Amino acid sequence: MSDTTTPRRSLRQRLHLPRLGVLFGLVWLGSLTILTVLANHVPAAVPFIRYYDSKVKVDGKVKKYGFGPGLDAWFGTGKSAEDIFARCIYGAKLTLLIGIGATIIGLVVGALIGVLSGYFRGWTDRVAGIATDSLMSIPPLLLSLVLVLRLDDLKEQYSWMGWISRPWQLSLTLGLVSVAPFARIVRAQTMVLREREFVTAARSLGASRSRIIARELLPNLIPAMVTVAFTGLGILIAAEAGLAFLGMGVEEPHTWGKMIDIARDDIEKAWWATAFPCLMLFLTVLSFNLLGDELARRFDIREAAV
Amino acid sequence: MSPTTQAAIRDTDAPLLQLTDVTTHFRTPRGLVRAVDGVSFTLERGKSLGIVGESGSGKTILSRSIMGLLPTHGTVRSGSIKYAGREIGNLGRKEMRSVWGREMAMIFQDPMTSLNPLMKIGDQIAEPLRIHLKMNKVDAWATARKLLQDVRIPEPDRRLHQYPHELSGGMRQRVMIAIAMACGPTALFADEPTTALDVTVQAQILDLLGEQRRERNMSIVLVTHDLGVVAGHTDEIAVMYGGKLVEKASTRRLFAAMKMPYTEALLASIPKMSDASHTRLAVIPGRPPDLVNPPKGCRFAARCPYAQEKCIAEEPPLTVTADDPDHSYACWFPVGSPEYHEARARLSDKKNTVEAA
Repeated sequence: MSDTTTPRRSLRQRLHLPRLGVLFGLVWLGSLTILTVLANHVPAAVPFIRYYDSKVKVDGKVKKYGFGPGLDAWFGTGKSAEDIFARCIYGAKLTLLIGIGATIIGLVVGALIGVLSGYFRGWTDRVAGIATDSLMSIPPLLLSLVLVLRLDDLKEQYSWMGWISRPWQLSLTLGLVSVAPFARIVRAQTMVLREREFVTAARSLGASRSRIIARELLPNLIPAMVTVAFTGLGILIAAEAGLAFLGMGVEEPHTWGKMIDIARDDIEKAWWATAFPCLMLFLTVLSFNLLGDELARRFDIREAAV
Repeated sequence: MSPTTQAAIRDTDAPLLQLTDVTTHFRTPRGLVRAVDGVSFTLERGKSLGIVGESGSGKTILSRSIMGLLPTHGTVRSGSIKYAGREIGNLGRKEMRSVWGREMAMIFQDPMTSLNPLMKIGDQIAEPLRIHLKMNKVDAWATARKLLQDVRIPEPDRRLHQYPHELSGGMRQRVMIAIAMACGPTALFADEPTTALDVTVQAQILDLLGEQRRERNMSIVLVTHDLGVVAGHTDEIAVMYGGKLVEKASTRRLFAAMKMPYTEALLASIPKMSDASHTRLAVIPGRPPDLVNPPKGCRFAARCPYAQEKCIAEEPPLTVTADDPDHSYACWFPVGSPEYHEARARLSDKKNTVEAA
C-alpha cells in the first residue's frame, strides 16, 4: 500500500482515545476512588486489601517496619507493622473528601463573590476586591495554620460548634484560603460574559438582574468553574498534606500527609513508608492537573494563576 | 405599568416616539465624548425610520439611548424621549423593565453572539413570554412555535429543541426577530441587523422585518451604515454625522432631492451597476470629527468639497425645506443652491487645469 496522501494516524487517534495524560488521570482517579470506597464500606469486595489497622506480623510477631515492598505487603509495612498499601487506600477517602469539600466551599463562596462583583461592578466590586486582595496578601500556609488552631479553641468554647471535626476544620480552612483565587477567576469571566450581546439582548427584553445572573451568566460560567475546580483540587490536596505534615492532620485512618509525617523520621530505615504515600499524593495531584489542563483546552479558558 | 394604562398608551394620538434635543455624552479620561448631540425627531406609529451614518456617527448610541440600554456609569444624558406621549428618558431600570420587550424590543448586529449558547431556541423565545405575559410553559412553547413559523423557519418543531450553534447565521437572526417580537412590541429597534449576514440573506431578513411591521403595525427603527439597506425598506431616512442629525426626509424625497453634501457623498460611495467595470469607488476623504473637541462650524466642513468660510465658522441649524415640511437638513449651501453650483464649477475647473498641466 502506497498511502502517501493521508498522514498515518497513531493508534490512539484510530481508537479515539483521549491523550495519554488525560487517560492516565482518568484511570488513576477512577480506580483510586473505587478502591477507597470499596475498602472503606464493602471490605469484602476487595479481599486483597488488608483492614487498615491489621498488623502484618513477621513469624507471628509484630515488628516495626517488618517488610519492605514485596509480596507480603505490596508497599511494605509501617511503624506498627501496618500495611502501607492498605493505609494508602483507606487514607485516600479522607484525602479526597477534604480536597473536594474545600474546593466546593471555596468555589461556592468564591463564585458568589466573583459573579456579584463582576456583574454589578462599582462599589460591590471594590469592597469584594479589597476583601479578596487582603485575603491573598496573607501567606496561605500561615493563615490556614492559625485558622485550624483557632477553630480548635472555638470548638472547646462553644458547644454548638462541636460538629466541626478535624476533617471539617481542614475543609473550612482550605476552602476559605481558596475563596480569593476562585473569586478572581469567576469575576474575570463574568466581566467578559456580561458584555456579550446575548446578555444585552436579555436585558433589552426586560429580564431582571437575578434572572440574567441565573439564566444567562451562571450556565456560561460552569465550564470555567469546573476547570478551576480540578486544578484547585490538586492544589488543595497538596495543601492538606502540607498541613498534616505540620501536625494538623486527622485521626485514623490517616490521610497521606499524616502518613508522611509519621514515617519521615525513619526514612533511612524504611524509605517505603514515606515514599509510597508521597507517590500517591504526587500522582493524584498530577492527575487533577492533567484533567484540569485538558478541560481548559476544551473550553478555551485562559486561567489566571490559582 | 398596569395593563390598563398600557392600553391607554397604545390608544393615544401622540406620536409613538418623540425625541427633543436628545444628547448622550460619555465621560472619558480624554474628556467629554459628545456621542449624540442634540437630536430631535418624531416617529409615527407603524412607520419605519432608517438611521444612516458611518462608524462613530452616534447612530447606535442614539438607538440605545432611546432603549435606555446604556451603562449608567459615566453617561450624561439630557433632552426628552417621549414614548406614546409618556416621558421615558428619565425612567429607572426597574420601570424600564416593563417597557423592554412589551413596548420596545431590539435586534442586535451579530446573531452569532446575541443568543445564549447554552439555552434551547424554544426556551429563549419562551422566556420573555413567561416573564412578561405570565404564560405557562406549554402555552409559551406553543407561541414560540408559532413565532418561528411567522419568521419563516422551516421545521419549527425540530428547531425549538436545538441550540444556537446548530443554526446558520440567517436562521439565528430570524430567531432573534422572533424573540424580539414575542411580546408584541410597538417599536422595534434593529441595530445593523444584516451587517453580519450574507448579501443573499440580507434581503430576506429585511423583507421579513417589513412584512412583520405591516402585519403587526409596529414601528421599526433600522440603524445601518448602508444607504442601500434602508432604500427599499423604510418610510423615512435620518442621516447622522458626528452625533448630529444632518438630514431627514421621506425615503423617496431623500433620494430624489437630497440637500446635504454628506448624504450626496454617501450615495456616491455606493457602487452602481451602470458604471463601467474598474470604475474607482468614490470615497469620502478624511475621518469623522473628534467628538471630544467637535469643530466650531459644520461638523462635515473639513471633508466637504463645497465647504466655504461660513461653514467652518458657524454651525448650520436644522432647517425645513420650503416645498416639503417633512424634509429638513443642516447645511449653509445645500445641494442645488447657487453657491453649491458655483463651488462645483470651481472644483471641475481646478480638476481640468490639473489635468491640462
